[in-house]
Order: sequence, then C-alpha cells, then structure tokens
Amino acid sequence: MFALIDCNNFYAACERLFEPRLEGVPVGVLSNNDGCVIARSEEFKALDIPMGIPTHKIDPALRRRVVLKSSNYTLYGDLSARVQQVLARQVPTLEPYSIDECFLDLRGLQEDWHALGARLVRSVVREVGLPVSIGIAPTRTLAKLANRQAKAQSTRPQVCVWTHADAPDLTAHLRRLSPRDVWGVGERLNARLAGMGVLTAAALRETPDSELRRRFSVVLARTATELNGHPCLSMSDLETPRRSILCSRSFGRPLRDHNALAGALRHHCQRAGEKLRRDAMQASAIGVYLRTNPHHAGTFRHACEWTALPFPSADTQQLNRAAQRLLARLWQPAAYQKLGIMLAELTPRQQSQTTLFDGAEPARREALMEAWDAIRARYGRQALTLGPQPIDASWQMNSAYRSACYTTRWDELPRARAR
Amino acid sequence: MSMTPIALAASTSAPASSDTLSRGASGFPSPADDYREAPLDLHHHLVRRPASTFFMRLEGDDHRHAGLHHGDLLVIDRAISPRPGHWLVAAIDGELSVLHLERREAQLYLAPSRPGLATLPFEADDDRLWGVICYAIHALPATGEEPAESSCLR
Repeated sequence: MFALIDCNNFYAACERLFEPRLEGVPVGVLSNNDGCVIARSEEFKALDIPMGIPTHKIDPALRRRVVLKSSNYTLYGDLSARVQQVLARQVPTLEPYSIDECFLDLRGLQEDWHALGARLVRSVVREVGLPVSIGIAPTRTLAKLANRQAKAQSTRPQVCVWTHADAPDLTAHLRRLSPRDVWGVGERLNARLAGMGVLTAAALRETPDSELRRRFSVVLARTATELNGHPCLSMSDLETPRRSILCSRSFGRPLRDHNALAGALRHHCQRAGEKLRRDAMQASAIGVYLRTNPHHAGTFRHACEWTALPFPSADTQQLNRAAQRLLARLWQPAAYQKLGIMLAELTPRQQSQTTLFDGAEPARREALMEAWDAIRARYGRQALTLGPQPIDASWQMNSAYRSACYTTRWDELPRARAR
Repeated sequence: MSMTPIALAASTSAPASSDTLSRGASGFPSPADDYREAPLDLHHHLVRRPASTFFMRLEGDDHRHAGLHHGDLLVIDRAISPRPGHWLVAAIDGELSVLHLERREAQLYLAPSRPGLATLPFEADDDRLWGVICYAIHALPATGEEPAESSCLR
C-alpha cells in the first residue's frame, strides 16, 4: 500500500498558523515579486478570483475583501520539513514529492489503514498545526486519486482508503473520472484517448496493455496497470508537469563528504534545468532535501529546506547556486543515502515578467543555456558539466506583503499577548 | 530551526574535525580523548521535539505575578497535551494569547490575568488551543537584552 499526504491549501494554512485573525478570511498568496496569485484559501476560491491572475487585475472591490500575502518560502519550507519529520517518525519510508505533498511507502505494513491514516492526519494537525488529507491505496497513482477524494470530504480527519483496486466505490469513482485527472495523463493524451473512445479513468484501465503500448507509450500502459492496483511506477517516472519538478537519487553507498554531495547536487540541478527548458518552464522556488538510510542502524536524519529564487529561472547555474547554499546550511556530518531537489511555482517561460522592476533572466543567459543544452545533446552529457559554484551574496526581491519568518529568525518571532 | 535532525545521537553530533583539534603540536592524541563528551547543548535540552516546538515572544506584563515578563522567550511544544496548571498559547479574538489553564469543579477554564477579562470555558479538544508553553526564558539586566516598554495598553 501507498499513501499520499497533502497539506490543504498549504501556503494559506502556513500564513494562518501564526496569524489566527486570518481564519475564515479569504487569503491569497502571491508569486515571487508579488506578480500574481499562486495559492488561495477556500474562501478566496469561493470569490471566483482565478489562480494566476495578475495582482493588479484583481477587482478593487474584491481586493478590499481579501488578504494578500507575498510568498514566504522560508516559512513554508520550515513547516514542510516539520510535517515530513512528524510523518517520518511513524512510517518506514517517506518520499517528499513537492513542498506540500509526500508519498509514504507502506508496503510490508499490516495495519488498519483507516486508523493509520487518521493517526497520521491528527499528528500533523496537532504537532505542526496544518490541516492535511491522506489517500491510501495499493499504488501511488490510486493513492493520489484517493487523496483528492479525501479532500472532498467535509468530515475530519480527511482520510480515504481503497484497499483493493476492484473495491466498488473505487470502480464507481473511476467511471466518473476523466483520464485527464489521472496522474501523468495530460491534456494532449486525454484528447487522443477521447479520440479512441476512452472517456473515463475506468475505461483507461480496461484498455488492453498491448494497445496502450502500441498506440501510446510504456508509461501510459504502466499508469493503466497502476489503476488496476499493481504498483509499477516509481516517483521519478512521473511528475506533475505544471506545478513542480523533482530530481532525486539514492546513492549506491552512503555519502558523508560535503563535496561529494555538492557534486551530486550539481548533477540534479543540471537535470532539473534541462527538464525546465525542455518544457519551456521556469521555477521560482527550489528545495533541497537530504536523508540517511531509514533502515540502517544508528541515527536517522531527514533535512529539507526551501528558498525563493531571485527571479523565475530555468538557468542551471542559477538553480545550482541557490541549491548549493541550501546544502551548505543543511549539511551535518552523517552518512547520507539520498539527496534530491524540488522546484516549485513553475510558470511558462513566455509569461516571464520582463519589466525593469521585476527582474528576469537576461536574454544572454537564455542563449547560454540553449548552447549548453545543444552541446550536451550533441556530444553527450559528460561533455559539459557544471563545475563548483561560488556562493553568492544575499539577494533582494519584491515582497511587500511577506509574513515574518516566524520559525527561522530570532528577530521575527511571533508575538503572544498576555491576557 | 531550519534543520530538522531526528533523534540526533550525542555520539554523532561531535564535530568530525575535533579529532584533529585535540592533537597537540607533537601529533600525539590527548589522553583526555577517552573522557571526551559532547558539550551541553541548551537547544537540545529545551527543544525535545523539534518538529512540534516553536518559539514566541511574550507581549505584555499581565502575567508578571507568575514570573512571565514582557519580552520573555516562550518555548512552545504543540505535542504536549494541556493539563490544568499549564500555560497555553491560544488563538483568542484572532490573536495569539497567553493564558493559564485552570480547573474549577469539573470544568476547564482559560484564565486571564488582566483585570476585566472573563474566564473562558475550555473543551478537551478545543480549536483555540495553539500549544503548551514549556519554558519562558527571561533575560536579566546583564544581558543587555531588556525589552523595550510593553506596547500592551491596559
């Protein structure tokens, strides 16, 4: 069994944790440089202010009814790490998937799944103060769907368990679900599936494996297999294309040395940069995580930290510079088994804000990255790799409505009033 | 606070470089090496559960009678279950507030110290609970960290 745990309206929930007056108030969180709305509380969604709307285009009448916050990745990253830490204590294997989601590999456990799910949700609410929902199912693809189902529940804790792929409620759910809503099936695949009469997720999983392989791809055939309850996709096979990118790898042998880890991190940054440019996307925030082997005797360490990029970027060097700085902060002497980076707040490249104030990738950096990709494509990935990067001075950006870094700066601690 | 080590054992938290530091100029290991222990780490003493522990700054002098002063550093562990006699942070009127949890007969109450404020009945699973305060760290004059006058108006 696998579980997907997702923090509900994560950014807005982080803002509310230290500002209880925001409870019940429509809260919107803005992108880097306060350009547009990237996260919304339920109340904000109810006002029909769409995701991605430029901040200055919000109707002034609505603008007065809502609270807007600059994104505060330092705070979100710290709370995200705490959520992972609470979960990691209770289950054998945790795989961070994005800043607000992680998969739990529950294979080998014999549990009352509902009870386990409720316990995990309650522990995060209680210890970190963030609402989460959990979906538990035989595969990651189904767990992701179960999580969405859990989120739709009005009762707490939000737990949805499908113990078998042929459970009647699951089958009924898949009959109502468009293939587009299945992990890894995008708009284009969905249109092609519709063309051959596959209109629901249930129809997708009933399509013969050979046909999917022949007409589409191995990955889509595996997705169908996963919908049938047989795990065959790893986390690296699929990622949410729009929202985040994840590059991680377990090491053959544990790595202790900071330099060796920095080398692995450069490698991940190269891959992440290539993925971004391939999809014509840019990222605004980057996270690095490190962990020791949970099955190994001795101390278990799991560390993760996020930071915002000075401006949305698909530049490998820019990503690496930020990532190396995070690594330098995270690293402590230990035998690490896994290192990964995550990119968040992805936006299409053409929407890049190019005004003087917003800051953007200079055109010659883009040209450099084009040449970089071309050289690596032609002469192989080893032909050109990223060397060590100097660690840069601090940067600045627009964040007029940023909340305090409540959990990471002594001079920004929350204040509690004596009564 | 940004790092989140889990159950970091004292044996591994000693810096790796200390092996080289403890050797004298002659290169012989110090005989004291066998008795070396990790130095006392106040953070580990005060923060038993890093994931659920948060720091706040106390605003206002209403609880001075209980030794809680304006400007004190509060260590709050959300994993602790509140009991009568505990000091709590609770979200009251949209504001993070510090109150004392008391039991009168069978009922629990959040008891304010500020004159004129009513006690608030408190349920076992109260949504207003933010966390239980486990330490209040007070700076004495020698630190030079005495807080500015309380901004809290009576």
